[in-house]
Amino acid sequence: MAAAQPLLEVRDLKVHFFTREGVVRAVDGVDYSVNRAETLGIVGESGSGKTVSSLAMLRLVPPPARTVAGQILFDGEDLLTRTPKQMAALRGRRIAMIFQNPATSLNPIYSIGAQLTEILTWHEKASRRDAEPRVIELLGLVGISDPATRLRQYPHELSGGMRQRIGIARALLCNPSLVLADEPTTALDVTIQAQILELLAELQARFRMSMVLVTHDMGVVARMATRITVMYAGRVCETADAATIFNAPQHPYTRALLESMPRIDHSYAGPARRVLPSIPGRPPNLLNPPSGCRFHDRCPEAQVECRRLLPVETAVAPGHIVSCLRRGSPGIVA
Amino acid sequence: MGTVRYILRRLIFSAFLIIGVSMILFAMINAIGNPIEILLAERPGITDEIIESITQYYGLGGSVTDRYFTWLGAIIRFDFGTSIIYNLPVSEMLLTYGLETLKIQIPAILIALLVSVLISVLAATRQYSRIDFGVIAGAMVGHSLPGFLLGILLILLFSYWLGILPSYGAYSTRNLLMDSMVIDGLWHMVLPVAMLAFFNTATLTLLLRASLVDVLRQDFITAARASGLPERRVVFGHALRNAFIPVLTYLGILFGLMLGTAPVTETVFTWPGLGALYIMAIQQLDYPLIMGATMIITFMLVTATLLTDIAYVIIDPRIRLA
Ligand SMILES: Nc1ncnc2c1ncn2[C@@H]1O[C@H](COP(=O)(O)OP(=O)(O)OP(=O)(O)O)[C@@H](O)[C@H]1O
Ligand code: SF4
Ligand SMILES: [Mg+2]
Repeated sequence: MAAAQPLLEVRDLKVHFFTREGVVRAVDGVDYSVNRAETLGIVGESGSGKTVSSLAMLRLVPPPARTVAGQILFDGEDLLTRTPKQMAALRGRRIAMIFQNPATSLNPIYSIGAQLTEILTWHEKASRRDAEPRVIELLGLVGISDPATRLRQYPHELSGGMRQRIGIARALLCNPSLVLADEPTTALDVTIQAQILELLAELQARFRMSMVLVTHDMGVVARMATRITVMYAGRVCETADAATIFNAPQHPYTRALLESMPRIDHSYAGPARRVLPSIPGRPPNLLNPPSGCRFHDRCPEAQVECRRLLPVETAVAPGHIVSCLRRGSPGIVA
Repeated sequence: MGTVRYILRRLIFSAFLIIGVSMILFAMINAIGNPIEILLAERPGITDEIIESITQYYGLGGSVTDRYFTWLGAIIRFDFGTSIIYNLPVSEMLLTYGLETLKIQIPAILIALLVSVLISVLAATRQYSRIDFGVIAGAMVGHSLPGFLLGILLILLFSYWLGILPSYGAYSTRNLLMDSMVIDGLWHMVLPVAMLAFFNTATLTLLLRASLVDVLRQDFITAARASGLPERRVVFGHALRNAFIPVLTYLGILFGLMLGTAPVTETVFTWPGLGALYIMAIQQLDYPLIMGATMIITFMLVTATLLTDIAYVIIDPRIRLA
């Protein structure tokens, strides 16, 4: 029983932006959990609240956003009740983050070596002299050739892929138990994307760490994730293990996402070409989210009640959670 | 290697710049005409012979180019001729008055730098809070307050009503405070330095706060926080240094022009400084003094610009030394 306790458990998390125009419900009641040494893929369109919910794990949501409700149980303890000091001690040491854009997530005026050793010396009270060999070793591990030279280089002297490797090394410096990877390959060339994903998978297995891999790309989670959570407009649609999501998806949004993925066995050119289906409509404005089910105005299966009732997550099978009125989820008026 | 060559090239460029300014200055002054004629022609009892002899005395005869090179040769030896109004060597005057100006300007800029860093950090880390709005409003008002108004208010408050600080001059004319030149000098510096520091703080805070707000929004700041670095290090170590990059140019100009930018303060506090002297020289057409002061200010500005460029290379590794 105790052994099955997940490393991270997020319950009913709500992060709202308090703007002049009103409250933007960027994350509005999200639940998910991450087991030890597994990769949870979180999939969602742009603006569905992926980055904001990752930052919420570290209690670093930017103003005017605030985490207004929920629990974030890390190793059984709620991070939202931790003191700022306790939080700071966790960041980078037990929970680390890899950022979406490697071009902007390294400080342009400090050398790679200065930035990485600073973190190590701070957390482990190590001297620069002791920290440097470890940084060099880790840079080697993330596939950077000639790490001792790179140490003296500045971010602008490196390619995007190289910078993202540095970003990964920075996250792994203190051997964290949980790594939040926020679209780590979105800003990179396709060929580099594959290399970085491979590296992440390898490191995850090697250090037996848990990883939350956030992406808008079903193809990425297909390669990487043990389990998958699909998000839409700040809420969770469906969570299941990867095979179930791809072979027996239940939620209409998950199905639509899968149908809009290009498939290797289909031809999209030539006389017998298929048209790649896309989800009609646009992602909703979270300032005024649709009533009832957030997906109702784009959902092919929507019924009258979907406008009125907000579906609550329900298990349709062990480990398979869906929130859709037409899959047996109860609805609440909201 | 690259840096040394860059500095060398900038040095040569600076020298050309100064020579260029000296030519333009000389040409412009020359275009006004023979100063002796302008100053004395209308006076009764001035004959052409007298004008001729005075013209010779001040070295104003001969062709323009001859006179330019004579003048250039002299100023390289720090000889700017004799002031027409004061009948003193201009070089000596520049030194005395210039040092008095530096005495209030340098402390004022340094104090402003320190204070504006603290205020900017306070405001930018609390963006859109009451403190932040208060700082913006205060800095805007300070930035646009007329100089003489603040000067007079300071004199009213501290000299007239409270009677604790002197309102004019750099030293007491009769009894030195505590019989010490140093203490008496510092005592006289307080109000002018406060006034200059106030205006510099207002402007620097506006620039620095805006820049800092911008930097604090960047991903690498969130990343530094996500790495567990304490807020102190994130703000002072990572954000502030980046925030200074766009402010550096302004700081360079502040230092570069400081000999000439305090005339109002110097006038309000009757401070024997170069800014007030310069304006008086212009009003009274004291040619040697105008030219000497202009050259000194040009030299300072060019030097400060050079130092700013070097500072950029040191602080920002992205700058390519082309
Ligand atoms: N400064 C802000 N003010 C108001 N709302 C904001 C602000 N920043 C983000 N949001 C809201 O938060 C929502 C989620 O943003 P987030 O960055 O988490 O999306 P994301 O899923 O990471 O998207 P992407 O794939 O583009 O990175 C956005 O849709 C937006 O409505
Ligand atoms: S609840 Fe209704 S609108 Fe929402 S996904 Fe299910 S069927 Fe579609
Ligand atoms: Mg994002």
